[in-house]
Amino acid sequence: MNSSDAVREGLIPLLPRLRRLARALAGQVADADDLVQIVLERSLARAAQWRPDAALDKWVFAIARNAWRDELRARGRTQHLFAPEESGEMAADRASAQPAQQLELAMALAALPPDHREVVALVLVEGMSYGEAAELLEVPVGTVTSRLARARATLQAHLGKDA
Amino acid sequence: MNPIDDETLQAYVDGELDKPGAARIDAALAHDAALARRVQQARDLRAQLRAAFDPVLDEPAPARLSALLQPRSAQTEIPAAPSVLPVGGRGISTTRRRATRRWFVPGAALAASVALLAVALWWWQPGDDLVRMQGGQSFAAGALTHALDETLASEPDAHAPVAIGLSFRSTDGRICRTFVLRSPPARAGLACHSDAGWSLPVLSAVTPPEGGGELRRAASDLPPEVQAAVDARLRGNVFDAQQERAARDAGWRQLPSRRGAGKTR
Repeated sequence: MNSSDAVREGLIPLLPRLRRLARALAGQVADADDLVQIVLERSLARAAQWRPDAALDKWVFAIARNAWRDELRARGRTQHLFAPEESGEMAADRASAQPAQQLELAMALAALPPDHREVVALVLVEGMSYGEAAELLEVPVGTVTSRLARARATLQAHLGKDA
Repeated sequence: MNPIDDETLQAYVDGELDKPGAARIDAALAHDAALARRVQQARDLRAQLRAAFDPVLDEPAPARLSALLQPRSAQTEIPAAPSVLPVGGRGISTTRRRATRRWFVPGAALAASVALLAVALWWWQPGDDLVRMQGGQSFAAGALTHALDETLASEPDAHAPVAIGLSFRSTDGRICRTFVLRSPPARAGLACHSDAGWSLPVLSAVTPPEGGGELRRAASDLPPEVQAAVDARLRGNVFDAQQERAARDAGWRQLPSRRGAGKTR
């Protein structure tokens, strides 16, 4: 099996987690799945760079995070990924299946600065350790913990306000 | 004792605190109600985030994503990605993304498209020289018919009044193409070939991009109701450049050759 096939096969069971991570980063279903498509394409294109002794999930999640950052840069909007009038679309995506509080939370997350959103997505949604997140983000562990603490404070304040 | 700062408390909640640190908080929790409340809040937030995003794990992935992970032999049947779309020089992060944007249309949008069709038909009033009514149906006319007949998306013309986007075989066997009328009022739609001409099951106004920039839309950024109409009809995948050309040369009637379908990258 060549590296491309190995990566392709490894990606299949990862797809649900990749979509969850993308949803936490990008917010809207459509944006998130567009991000996932880019990640899959890049992962397959760069399959030769993956070393089988490295964890495929972390390798792919790093590609996802970088692709998301690229998207933010391309859009020239670093804070809000979607415009206010589009938030109704997101509400429509989710309203049927989700309690209002979760919708509030998802929107509060989407309003966080990218530095904060990505640590929340990696640690609290994906379940990475601080060390794993730090390695992926190429920052010290202390930076992850301080960003995470500030992100939590923002999200909790938001939820508290609406409760 | 020292107050417990947010980062320490968070590390405790996240299982990142070393044993002595965790033991210290365990002990403090027994008699510190405020601390217990903070711990509970942090746990609640974590649980709520999981509750908000874990359901994604159980959602079926859109076909366009699963198709990318098919073995190559299967990809000739279900090619991975639209390939006829105009590709600019901006690389994957924008061009490819825009080209495939919002292909996954939630069911609600499908329902909405029915309502929007009525609006679109109203918008596209008879008398427009690009559309004609026949038997209660809208058909392409004039320059739109010409563009649908002749224009290849693989040979885009930025100055043409009609931009062609995707071409594909519909679930009913007809060949359908998306298009955008660039001149104001900008409109986008889907045209499906039949013996009577190109019928237009969906037409819609296009909102100009922010900042009043030049309208450059083609296959990318179609209105949701047009994308929903595509989604509802799409079987397999959109044509690549060879298939598109073969379909044109066959007068949009015959199934184009599948050769080259695997060369989507």
